[in-house]
Amino acid sequence: MSEDATRTLGKGSQPPGPVPEGLIRIYSMRFCPYSHRTRLVLKAKDIRHEVVNINLRNKPEWYYTKHPFGHIPVLETSQCQLIYESVIACEYLDDAYPGRKLFPYDPYERARQKMLLELFCKVPDLTKECLVALRCGRECTDLKAALRQEFGNLEEILEYQNTTFFGGTCISMIDYLLWPWFERLDVYGILDCVSHTPALRLWISAMKWDPTVCALLMDKSIFQGFLNLYFQNNPNAFDFGLC
Amino acid sequence: MLEESARSLGKGSTPLGLVPEGLICICSMRFCPFAERTRLVLKAEGIRHEVIYTNLKDKPEWFFKKNPFSLMPVLENSQGQLIYESAITCEYLDEAYSGKKLLPDDPYEKACQKMVFELFSKVPSLVGSFLRTQNKEDGAGLKEALCKEFSKLEEVLINKKTTFFGGNSVSMIDYLIWPSFERLEAMKLNECVDHTPELKLWMAAMREDPTVSALLTVVKDWQGFTEVYLQPGGL
Repeated sequence: MSEDATRTLGKGSQPPGPVPEGLIRIYSMRFCPYSHRTRLVLKAKDIRHEVVNINLRNKPEWYYTKHPFGHIPVLETSQCQLIYESVIACEYLDDAYPGRKLFPYDPYERARQKMLLELFCKVPDLTKECLVALRCGRECTDLKAALRQEFGNLEEILEYQNTTFFGGTCISMIDYLLWPWFERLDVYGILDCVSHTPALRLWISAMKWDPTVCALLMDKSIFQGFLNLYFQNNPNAFDFGLC
Repeated sequence: MLEESARSLGKGSTPLGLVPEGLICICSMRFCPFAERTRLVLKAEGIRHEVIYTNLKDKPEWFFKKNPFSLMPVLENSQGQLIYESAITCEYLDEAYSGKKLLPDDPYEKACQKMVFELFSKVPSLVGSFLRTQNKEDGAGLKEALCKEFSKLEEVLINKKTTFFGGNSVSMIDYLIWPSFERLEAMKLNECVDHTPELKLWMAAMREDPTVSALLTVVKDWQGFTEVYLQPGGL
């Protein structure tokens, strides 16, 4: 069973107690791409952690003490320190925990990964807008064209570098930061947006072979079930697929 | 140390040659607030550098080759590596050069500085929009939005009980956000800090910092620049 297969906490729930020594807690939601980034890093670095899933349509009052606007993901340490924004959380984990480093050591290579992340920055909103348009029966030709354009930029990088992954020959932080949106292309119904980007398609295949990505890969039918309930405004959407 | 050379390169200029060993080159525009961040860090860390000014509205063709976003600033080192996006350039300089560190070593303290930077993130575009706004109603709305953003920063200082955003001495986060505050007076936006006393104290403390005061642009120079910049076909 996946580590994050727990029911969400909503309004009226009791706040969880302090984080036990030796653990870090992530406030999350099983289907959120931003949380997914941070869960990938937790897994890749083998960091002992506990997951508290939040009902995003019915947030607990106590959750606003963790994040002023109730966003996820948020990390909480056993010293009650809170870290948020997914990229900041990922970088914190890489800095704070020993073992496998996901960001390169070289300052220029680190800067390069951050510049690549900037290049990617329009993708999350565009994929979400496509999903919403499709689900609401609206046409989204322009949105898909814009998304193809963004993917074209990423394709150029891979072609220029002539490497499998965005950071080089091995998987690294930038690949994990981008991955969640590519995992969702199929279930969102926009897989054709990579039809013109062969290097990107190769990268997607290579990512699916990565043990960390594999361990967290979401079952397509469960994701579909979540999306169906979510777009029906069903507050139980976030717990879909749990026993 | 070669610095603040008055070279301003526009269309038709020849591309930069190779950057000499031991030097880093920053491609900048004199009044650009984003480039100022990087120049503050270069100054604070005592990094030998050369400044090449480019014309903002009339960028030389080679500039687009050097930087896909055609934004400023761009750093180029003697290995021909290019770094852009002001916050990325600042972090790169802090990591690549030994000597004074502006970002904390502690992972949590470093994360806190980045969270404050996120909190600040709407300010530059609000200030930019105010600069370009033509009518009074829009201007009033922008001022109100700016006050709201400043309140968030005020809260951080109140909770931390320190003079600066990173503690009791100046650090990276202060330099990253300073350029927007430096311009408030010239843009007649000083009233936006009227209800944020801690932020006002921070601004006064920043003006005392040797690095900040070395790069301070005199108000009338900045006003002169904006008048020309906002004219149709200006600069």
